[in-house]
Amino acid sequence: MSAPHIDPSTEQSLSIWFFVGVLTLGSGVIILGQGIYEFSHPATTVLAELHPAFWWGLLMTLFGAFYTLRFRPGKG
Amino acid sequence: MTPLALLFATQLTHLGPVDIAILLLYFAMVIFIGFYVKGSTNTSEEFFLAGREMSAWIAGLSFVSANLGSLELMGWAGSAYQYGILATHWYWIGAIPAMLFLGIVMMPFYYISKTHSVPGYLHLRFGEGARALSAVSFGFMTVLMSGVNMYSMALVMKVVLGWDINFSVWVGAVTVAIYVMLGGLRSAIINEVLQFVLIWAGAALIPILGLIEAGGWTNLKLQITQRAGVEYTHMWSTLGGYSSNPMGVNWTGIIFGLGFVISFGYWTTDFLVVQRVLSANNLRAARLAPIIGAAFKMFVPFFVILPGLLALVLLKDSSGHLIQLYPDGSDMVVNHGAHSFNEVLPLMMVRYLGPGLLGLGITALIAGFMSGMAGNVSAFSTVWTYDIYGAYINKKAADSHYVSMGRWSTVIGMAVSVGTAYLVMGAASIMDYVQELFSFFIAPLFGTVILGMLWKRATKAGGFWGLATGTASSIAMWLMVLHDKSNIRFMILQPNASADTIMRVQAMAANLYRALWSWCVCVIVTIVVSYMTKATPESELTGLVYGSTIIPDDGSTKIYEKPIFWAIVVATVLFILNIWLW
Repeated sequence: MSAPHIDPSTEQSLSIWFFVGVLTLGSGVIILGQGIYEFSHPATTVLAELHPAFWWGLLMTLFGAFYTLRFRPGKG
Repeated sequence: MTPLALLFATQLTHLGPVDIAILLLYFAMVIFIGFYVKGSTNTSEEFFLAGREMSAWIAGLSFVSANLGSLELMGWAGSAYQYGILATHWYWIGAIPAMLFLGIVMMPFYYISKTHSVPGYLHLRFGEGARALSAVSFGFMTVLMSGVNMYSMALVMKVVLGWDINFSVWVGAVTVAIYVMLGGLRSAIINEVLQFVLIWAGAALIPILGLIEAGGWTNLKLQITQRAGVEYTHMWSTLGGYSSNPMGVNWTGIIFGLGFVISFGYWTTDFLVVQRVLSANNLRAARLAPIIGAAFKMFVPFFVILPGLLALVLLKDSSGHLIQLYPDGSDMVVNHGAHSFNEVLPLMMVRYLGPGLLGLGITALIAGFMSGMAGNVSAFSTVWTYDIYGAYINKKAADSHYVSMGRWSTVIGMAVSVGTAYLVMGAASIMDYVQELFSFFIAPLFGTVILGMLWKRATKAGGFWGLATGTASSIAMWLMVLHDKSNIRFMILQPNASADTIMRVQAMAANLYRALWSWCVCVIVTIVVSYMTKATPESELTGLVYGSTIIPDDGSTKIYEKPIFWAIVVATVLFILNIWLW
């Protein structure tokens, strides 16, 4: 069986950092969407008035987008 | 965590569609990774050691992540609530010096000997006896620990979310079995890095919001002092005696028992973590990986210890009264529905994390549990295939046969883990015993490995008998205290200790002294037996022992490329943090 050689840490077609980026981006977008929704329907948690879901979701989205693009397949 | 106690607790919260979406995203990704990396795990080197091609960063994050299981996270957050900031010692002096020592002193020997495991190193240095003893005990313990992780995850999901225990056990077991069987260590490492990121993302918001609510660190310390006492906010100034701190430990136990024996034993000889560093792609990466891991480890108390401290003064019910947590198994927990110490992290999650963020936090916990299972089962499959099956049952099989054996032993290891999980479900106390069992082997193993690496005169017989008697002494001390707790006075070298002092010495402190004495027994027996037996010829020690080995240049030229430079930076920051929280 001939398998593609994979170096998961660096330049391979799908690097570990790409997986990190996709997972963070996906989760970040979901949380960001929830955060936007909470501006009109506030959560019942402590300090919800600080809108942690919005800000944390935004941070994760930016972090995830950077890693997804930086380590996307085919980008050596 | 006492399982029965948790079973009686009420469900804390439930997941909404947004939370479930995040959880499903994680599960889809780990299964995909298993199938994706399967194509590159065709040789034993690829399956068991991830092809030895990981960068220092990947190996370092995986190294620290392998120890960041959810059982530890929840347990230590609970310990912080119970013992105060003293619990931080387990993350700082109880980890960082040992990790730096591994990178600077020990890694060259593990790496250049090209060993595939810690029992493998013992085989090269001390022969078959020491390898067999450590391989069998390690293999046995890892599958049991995997089962404990599996059951703990199921239990936490039941308590926090009301999920059925059987559902959680089987979903966790099948998922881990698939991705480790397909991708071996490579798959486990990728998932550990994902878990590391998830834990930071899922847990870091709790201390941030907690500190905002408390009005900053200074105000938090003030409130803790008023509520629990000044000893809850100092790391060293209360360690003068057994009675002056909540843990019942003094500085000798922390420095020698924890900081030296337990910590060095775990971080430098437990194959579960060392295996991650062995996957590094060159000697410099192998030396840097534990140092990078140490740098991240230093900040773990921020999202583990701090939530426990915050809960002391901020965890309130709907009417604004502080919620009191109790020990597992206590009357309040079992019969009155009160929450236990170990529930402090989920309770703080529910307090601050709304929909979406809660899903992220729960996903991080599940990832931590699954990573704990995967770490144990991948280490088990390596030690079983190389050090038991390949060493004693089938010595001359083709490489592909060993890969196949690695995959099958992963599945069988998971099946045994499921059995263990159900065993623990039936008899709650087994879980505590399994966790104790692990500590029997670690301290003496460190004595054997460190003498093997640093002392040329240590002989094969010395190594074997030192390891065997050290382990036996550890078990004997444990039984002695189990039989009569007052026997603990001999372990703390105070035969006339008062009943009050004995009562104040917690199980955690007793472990420190048991490790210290079993290490001493191992070292003394190794030295005595070595002098009584014929020295090993120098030619057989090349690449295994200091003084008989030329350490190859790791290729670093500039100061900032050198592992020792970064080790000094990490050690300096550690020193400053300890002075700050003195």
